[in-house]
Amino acid sequence: MTTPAIKVEDLCFSYGDIEAVKNVSFEVQPGEILGFLGPNGAGKSTTIKVLTGQMPPDSGRAEILGMEIGHDNPDIQAQISVCFEEKNLYLNMTALENLDFFASLFGIKDADSMEILRRVGLAERAKDRVHSFSKGMRQRMMISRAFINKPSVLFLDEPTDGLDPVTSAAIRKTIKEEADRGAAVLLTTHDMFEADELSDRVAFINEGEIVALDTAENLKLKYGTRSVRVRLRDGEGVSEEHIALDEGGSSERLAHLAASPDLMTIHTEEATLEAIFIELTGRRLEG
Amino acid sequence: MSRTVSRGEILGALLKKELIAYSRDKLYLFLTLLTLVFVVGIFWVVPDSVEESITLGVTPPVQTLVDDGIETLRALGATDEQLAELREADLAEGEEGFSVVEFESAEQMAAVIEGTLQAWRTDEGELVLRDREAGEARPADAERVPVDIGIAFPPSFIGDVATGAEGVSVTVYSDAAVPEEIQGAMTSFVREMAYEFAGRELPVEMPDEETIVLGTDRAGDQVSMREKLIPMLAFMMLLIETFAMASLISVEVLQRTVTAVLVTPARVIDFLTAKSIFGTGLALSQGLIVLALIGAFTAQNWWLLLITMLLGAMMFTGVAMIVGAAGKDFMGQLFYAMLFTVPLLIPAFSVLFPGSAAAWVRVLPTFPLLDALVNITIYEAVWADVWRSFALGAAWLVVLFGAGLVILKRKVESL
Repeated sequence: MTTPAIKVEDLCFSYGDIEAVKNVSFEVQPGEILGFLGPNGAGKSTTIKVLTGQMPPDSGRAEILGMEIGHDNPDIQAQISVCFEEKNLYLNMTALENLDFFASLFGIKDADSMEILRRVGLAERAKDRVHSFSKGMRQRMMISRAFINKPSVLFLDEPTDGLDPVTSAAIRKTIKEEADRGAAVLLTTHDMFEADELSDRVAFINEGEIVALDTAENLKLKYGTRSVRVRLRDGEGVSEEHIALDEGGSSERLAHLAASPDLMTIHTEEATLEAIFIELTGRRLEG
Repeated sequence: MSRTVSRGEILGALLKKELIAYSRDKLYLFLTLLTLVFVVGIFWVVPDSVEESITLGVTPPVQTLVDDGIETLRALGATDEQLAELREADLAEGEEGFSVVEFESAEQMAAVIEGTLQAWRTDEGELVLRDREAGEARPADAERVPVDIGIAFPPSFIGDVATGAEGVSVTVYSDAAVPEEIQGAMTSFVREMAYEFAGRELPVEMPDEETIVLGTDRAGDQVSMREKLIPMLAFMMLLIETFAMASLISVEVLQRTVTAVLVTPARVIDFLTAKSIFGTGLALSQGLIVLALIGAFTAQNWWLLLITMLLGAMMFTGVAMIVGAAGKDFMGQLFYAMLFTVPLLIPAFSVLFPGSAAAWVRVLPTFPLLDALVNITIYEAVWADVWRSFALGAAWLVVLFGAGLVILKRKVESL
């Protein structure tokens, strides 16, 4: 049986009287991407802070690669990497100096920093100071820094937040490559498309609690409604009809419309993760 | 991928990063160089000798006094030899460090001391008085003669004291800025003159033995302004490096790069150790450069100076940690830097002024180090003279450095 890369049981953490993480439990296997989907303030980043040893949990337990988490645990920290939501780079250092510095903190003497910069499209700017980088370039720097130690467990906190679609797609591609290499990835996001596209499984987190955890496919099947949308010519105009596939008589009605000479298009409709999140929590993902 | 990394490797990486960050901070790099040039420049510009001469005004002119005295003494039956002695006594010549300026009247002398008239000495030796406020031009080829204190004798002074006349009155004029000690010395001088002429015992008891000087005898070699500047210049350099170090810490905290460091195998203790080593090294090296450039090191004192500056550099690094952790932006950092460093500089300023340091200055953390620095650089102190200062300085160091470590540790752990 494979040891989970991340194993969390009944984890709790409070900021004073505010419970930020409430009895959270989950596992992430090596090579798996678990998407933590939830709105701002749901407890996603706090969970990462506790798991990466930045803050001790109030109760519960968590293991990284079979080792119990704790503050200042170099054995764990040697095998993890964190991409923070805040772009905490050394602005007065060049891209290459930033990567080489972090490589040396991991004891890596032969770090191929240039190759990593090439992967995120920053090789041309390797010798430029980071303070001259755009927001998107800094985010790519954050990702490349997280890759410097070839981590077994990768924590990514909103890695594409506020980026343009092209940069986001490039970053998602590199995250997939890391998972393919065998890294377990815990990805927090409030972007349902990102969670859907990247994650092997998705955890919905709201007000510090995991309200659902499964593959995106299963969540849609479990909480969504299967339906098709049919568009028909209606005189000079167009009419639309939604047919719920799980209702009685839906097959006959669909067959009838499909045979109609006025049929224009038929689209399958599946529930979005956001729709399911709203159904489960009553809250939207944004905000 | 699991690797082992030693604490030494982590420390080395952190120190290298500190060096890069410092070398890229143009503001503090510029301030460091500017301070270095300024500090060394000001040291060599300030005079290294002390103006010790006193100019004394006298009226009436000495020759008038002598002539009148000769007349009186001759009438009293003085011999020609005694009168010749009085004629040969060139009272206007003065002693070393003591010159006499003769005035025709007490009013003139008082006006010069008061500043309403100016006294000028021409190349020919003539004394010329000018009322500059009334628009009188300064005389050509003349040098200003400052007179702060003067004695107005009655013209019959010598004869009166020689005959034992009652009610002889001598007036001493003094500028308000003249220290009381000088005024007292002038009064004693007049009494002594009277004794010389009258041959009567002064009502003052004097010790029979030689004068005993406590501490290093600097008679004729008083502490110059340049020497007094040494401790202040060294501490100014430490102060600038405190600002630089506080800035490095503050940037690390505000941009939260420290958080990124602490999720690697680097621990909080590594971060604090690197800051301590770099801060101390930076301040110490700059302080030592200043001391070397102003020639403060000797074969005997170099290790004592090294200890003093090491304690000072560590103390200021502790302060930099407090300031760096407390300041939320540049202005906040500046505020806290001033709040902590100005009191620490007060002992350095107190060295510039004569007299003992006030009691409240003596309890400031940097006082023992300044005291040691003054004694080492000016009075050639040895270990036995300064070890108590070192012990007290080390105690303060533990307090300030310890506070800096605790405050910075709590700050980075709370991010």
